Amino acid sequence: MSIVLSCDKLNKKYGRTYALRDLDMRLEENVIYGLLGRNGAGKTSLLNIIAGGIFANDGTIEVRGKKLGKGAFPEDCCFVRENNKLFGGARLIEVLQFAANFHPNWDWTFAHKLLQTFQLDPNKKIKQLSKGTESLVGNIIGLASRATLTLFDEPVLGLDVLMRERFYKELLEDYANHPRTILLSTHLIDEIAPIAERVYIIDEGTLLLHDEMNRIRMSAYLIRGNSDAVASFTEGKRVLHTESYGHGKLAAIFEKLNDGDRLQARKLDITIENLTLQKFFSYLIEGGH
Amino acid sequence: MLSGEVMNVTFDEKQPIFQQVADIIEDDILNETYREDEQILSVAQFSQLFQINPATVVKGIGLLVNEGILYKKRGLGMYVSSDAKPKIQNQRRDRFYKELLSNLLCEADKLELTTEDIMNMIKQLKKE
Repeated sequence: MSIVLSCDKLNKKYGRTYALRDLDMRLEENVIYGLLGRNGAGKTSLLNIIAGGIFANDGTIEVRGKKLGKGAFPEDCCFVRENNKLFGGARLIEVLQFAANFHPNWDWTFAHKLLQTFQLDPNKKIKQLSKGTESLVGNIIGLASRATLTLFDEPVLGLDVLMRERFYKELLEDYANHPRTILLSTHLIDEIAPIAERVYIIDEGTLLLHDEMNRIRMSAYLIRGNSDAVASFTEGKRVLHTESYGHGKLAAIFEKLNDGDRLQARKLDITIENLTLQKFFSYLIEGGH
Repeated sequence: MLSGEVMNVTFDEKQPIFQQVADIIEDDILNETYREDEQILSVAQFSQLFQINPATVVKGIGLLVNEGILYKKRGLGMYVSSDAKPKIQNQRRDRFYKELLSNLLCEADKLELTTEDIMNMIKQLKKE
């Protein structure tokens, strides 16, 4: 697998606060990644640094093995910002024509199909669009550009559930036919779970976890039972978070469980439940500090 | 088939999604949505319809190819093997015995139900 984008020890400071601290990230060719974090975790700063919009105080970025100069925009990359800041006076079709110039793999047939899917009138002016609709325009650019590295910052923010589903469907179908590296930053975690193959979870500018979605799904559990039983079961396992109630205890763990573990749990009268990614994420963040 | 707009399968957290992909395809073979030597959905169609990553779909299909339930025709796609149905039924009977029945007995133990109680319940349900 070849690496498309590699960030090493990125640091970004605003005054005394770190927006990013020693952040490492490696994106492989043709994989869909989820970038997860709370508001203010550093997702947008990271994306802006990659796209050359702001400068890191420290650290390096390599795109396909070549070091990226300060403020340079990576080649064959499409960055869909959360706030597009498109020209308000321009018509939607003009914005697409403008974007098409920058992307060698741009597909007009696909762009027109997306206009229909998202029920957009190409002759409308940008300033006439609602917030959600404006992010759809960005998403059309992100998809139709077919850039080998596509970064979406909160692409479904402000979209209703129908449009979110349409976006995910279009993304997946087009990706299946034209594989490329896609990074989706979002805080709608459970929605992204089946879509992304891998995730980066960041909080307060640092990387908390990088893993395959499938592995997280099969290692994130909530253990419930008598306090002593839970304590003996979780010994030696990675515990993210615990809560006590009376003689009982809840423990969120991140550990692969084997048949022996399940047998032990049965003997100790402990229940094991799987955690949703959303729950796992919040326990991970609570445990991380 | 529906366009997929209204259809939505929720993937639970209990199994890896690729395993659930394999289960969906198996269900569709059992209920004859796909018959012997018929082609199944392409990876792109499957991924779009159920909103899951294509790599996950490929993994699930791979599982069924290894088990001899699906076979590949070069350049065309994935097809259902001629003995797919009995193969799936055998595997599922095994799973029924090992997982479903042992879970059922475990719960029955907690409730202090005897084997006879359980048998009577099953007979009752069958009658209804």
